[in-house]
Amino acid sequence: MLLPFTKVYAELGNSMQRATKLYLKQKGDALANRPVTVIYEDEANDPVVGAQKTQKFIDSDRVDLMMGIVATPIAYAVRNAIDAAKLIFIETNAGGNALTRTTTDCKPSCKSKYIFRSSFSSYQISYPIGEYFATQKGVKEVFTFVADYGFGNESAADFTSGFTKGGGKITGSLKAPLGSADFLPFVTQLKGQQTKDIYSFFSGTDAINYIKAWTQLGMTASGYKMNGAGFLTEQDVLKEVGDQANGATTSLFWAVTLDNAENKAFVDAYQKEYSLLPDVFAVQAWDGMQAVDLALQAVKGDTSNKDAFIAALENVKFKSPRGDFEFDKETHNPIQDIYIREVKVQSGQAVNTIVGKVARVTDPGK
Amino acid sequence: MTPETAVVQALNGISFGALLFILAAGLSLIFGMMDVVNLAHGAFYMLGAYIALTIVQRTGQFWLALVLAPLLIGALGLVIEPLLLRRLRGRHLDQVLLTIGVSLVIADLIGLTWGREIRSIPFPAGLDHAITIVGGDYPVYRLFVIAFGAALAVVLAVVHRRTRVGALIRAGVDDAPMLAALGVDIDRLFAITFAVGAALAGLAGVIAAPVFGIYPGMDVDYLIYSLVVVVVGGLGTLSGAVAGSALIGPVDTFGKVLFPQFALALIFAVMALVLLMRPTGLLGRIRIAR
Amino acid sequence: MSGATPMRRFALPVVAVVAAAVLVTFPIWSSPWESSRYATGILRDMLILGILALSLDLLVGSAGMPSLGHAAYFGAGAYAAAIAGQRLGSDDLLLGLGAAILVSAFLALVIGAVAVRAAGIFFLMLTLAFAQMVFAIAFQAADITGGSNGFSGVRRPMLFGLDFNGPDALFHLVAVVFLLVLLLAWRLRSSAYGRALIGLRENERRMRALGYDTTRLKLSAFVLAGAIAGVGGALQAYSIRFVSTNDVGVARSVEAFVSVLIGGASTLVGPVVGAIVVLFIERVMPSYIAFAETVLGLVFIVFVLAARQGIVGLVRASYARVRA
Repeated sequence: MLLPFTKVYAELGNSMQRATKLYLKQKGDALANRPVTVIYEDEANDPVVGAQKTQKFIDSDRVDLMMGIVATPIAYAVRNAIDAAKLIFIETNAGGNALTRTTTDCKPSCKSKYIFRSSFSSYQISYPIGEYFATQKGVKEVFTFVADYGFGNESAADFTSGFTKGGGKITGSLKAPLGSADFLPFVTQLKGQQTKDIYSFFSGTDAINYIKAWTQLGMTASGYKMNGAGFLTEQDVLKEVGDQANGATTSLFWAVTLDNAENKAFVDAYQKEYSLLPDVFAVQAWDGMQAVDLALQAVKGDTSNKDAFIAALENVKFKSPRGDFEFDKETHNPIQDIYIREVKVQSGQAVNTIVGKVARVTDPGK
Repeated sequence: MTPETAVVQALNGISFGALLFILAAGLSLIFGMMDVVNLAHGAFYMLGAYIALTIVQRTGQFWLALVLAPLLIGALGLVIEPLLLRRLRGRHLDQVLLTIGVSLVIADLIGLTWGREIRSIPFPAGLDHAITIVGGDYPVYRLFVIAFGAALAVVLAVVHRRTRVGALIRAGVDDAPMLAALGVDIDRLFAITFAVGAALAGLAGVIAAPVFGIYPGMDVDYLIYSLVVVVVGGLGTLSGAVAGSALIGPVDTFGKVLFPQFALALIFAVMALVLLMRPTGLLGRIRIAR
Repeated sequence: MSGATPMRRFALPVVAVVAAAVLVTFPIWSSPWESSRYATGILRDMLILGILALSLDLLVGSAGMPSLGHAAYFGAGAYAAAIAGQRLGSDDLLLGLGAAILVSAFLALVIGAVAVRAAGIFFLMLTLAFAQMVFAIAFQAADITGGSNGFSGVRRPMLFGLDFNGPDALFHLVAVVFLLVLLLAWRLRSSAYGRALIGLRENERRMRALGYDTTRLKLSAFVLAGAIAGVGGALQAYSIRFVSTNDVGVARSVEAFVSVLIGGASTLVGPVVGAIVVLFIERVMPSYIAFAETVLGLVFIVFVLAARQGIVGLVRASYARVRA
């Protein structure tokens, strides 16, 4: 598994490692009667390192299967090497749209029959909420404020298409450099806007600093509403800002409060093992493992026939903590329900509660 | 931009500048007074923030962290200077390599000890609300930061100009052998100066962390900010750090808003521009090489 | 004694040639070894960093110009080779390398014209500032460089019908270019130009008094170093067939800088040895221990305190002691 264990995304790597270890522990470290060893390597937020570690998996460790990669540029960088090596790879985070689409000249990347994704495409967490706002929620105008990099820009673009398709109007946009130290100047600008609904994409430290600046300037009290793609208010952020994000509406394919049997079991098991609430990154890794598990069972543990294994993966269908999970046979991206969530404090912890749903969202694939 | 927004942005710029000054003060002190390039400055800042995090988590006392973290980091500095830096007086390249090494060790040990999650320190109770200024809310903590920065600058200036310690240190940089001949323990003086510089970095960690956040890699990001401020303002003087932060703070703030496409590069472009016009920074003095 | 000298003079070039041959053919003779392919990749990355470090040593070691923004030219070369290959639809190696050298040299000229006016810590900061600006441009100009998502689909180069597609062929290419750069560095050291650069480091004022146009000299060194770095960058683009903004970033610049210092600034092989050590600790060790960064930091500290002349200096000193 190639995950970040150092640098800014380390928390995601640790979260996914915890979920993977828990899954394997529950299965006695064996899937389909084959003992499983996982080799973890650090992607260190650098495509050159990611490429080198991928080569290690291919040439030195000779792995049967590869999973992981948090940062989209790293996924793009190793896509060709993985495809050429015919290594089956389950992407457990990076949401860059191109990874599971057909694109011209494969720029910035394109799908591969060996690459599956157990997380999401940024389209899936941005477009549906756009359409939902315009058609279901009756929002007429939105102002976008995103982090100025691949993910943020994709999210803003997809939200804009969804929202305008539903009849809404984007009144303007603002971008903050990735890793901005001070969010107050940006939120001050937002406060000068007439439009009260703000759609944002930030994650990690940026999301925390943004929410804190939002609170400091009393945006909610002045009638502004915070909306965004799910990572803006995921558990890694909520644990630090607490109730400051209350009322924020975001879209994601999971929430820790999701009320189904698998999620309850997953959250309970995770909490018991680690004394922590799981986050969406853990779910992504968990579902990846489950897909692999079921596919392995279908081929009776035989990983030597790659095409058969790929077909098995394409056919997996299971109930995951996020609901019904299956891969789109065309793109190998998950087909999943997207939930519209709202932040509330429950039992003393800030969590996302489900207030709406867009069912069975498929990535368009081009 | 409306006049009200402009006022708020100006406050944002000034408070950001104040944060930058508090951040850069330690670096400026060490370089200005001891002629030592301390690239572990960011790591001391980071360590201060993490120590504050633990103190606030355990006791909920921000003010305790504000006192304790700098003391602990200062103690660390007091150990590092004689042990590692003393023999490198005057050897800048070696100082660079050594302090990079120290920085790597500290940052990695922090990751191994505290974990590598994204954290944040809440604003201290009493300073976490907003007051009404020019018809809008403005966070009190930012005003506190401005006041704190100003106070810090005054204290450092007084110590530097008016006290015997300040005079001794200045003399020590210009002519260490002379001072030694006069019976002053120059080694102890330098160790204390380094400790103070480190403590200031730790202090910045406590003050700035609620605003900037705590995450792996913060040491590099804020070291770069500090270097820019100190170099722009002028190496070798405390007023340089003030000038540097007073320029960079508002420029960065207004730049982000007015020229978003250049926001990433803006402070570096400003630094390059300043150095072109005044190679030693805004208020820098050229030190005569021996 | 007099009999030994011609032997020594004959032995050294032979040893060098043999060592070079061994290096270039590494993938071939190491193939029985299970991790050969992977080791080839690591060695290739070390050689590329070695090229970058050698180019930086021209500035840091020879001319006494401590540049902390050298990755800007490395990354510029990488982007140039990648973009040229794609825009012109060509796999030609000479085209890619040519584009890399042109762009990185030009960038070094533009930045150097400004930067060489400063010295010491100011030069350090200026080079860092400019490198950060290059980083920002690479990040923002997404249409050209791919922006934060990086530039994918770099073509594997061909030269006169020779396809350097496979990992072995690519390694041969990198090794050969590395040796050429090493040769260039060696010739420079003994040339008048090289000695003028060292003179710059020792005493710039005297050089000026002797009639040298020191600014011109510094600028030429800066451009040359930038061009060589650009070649290294192009090779890296071909190696992983991807260019990211990390390649113009501070981390890469610092990596090269510490490699030079650890290995031994202004020695011939020092920067290369430093590159090997640094990359080994940064990329190979983490597969086995969780505190590789700490080890790296400790290595820096120990070297500064105990082995000021770097690894090469250490070896020389112990060799001298053994012979004495």
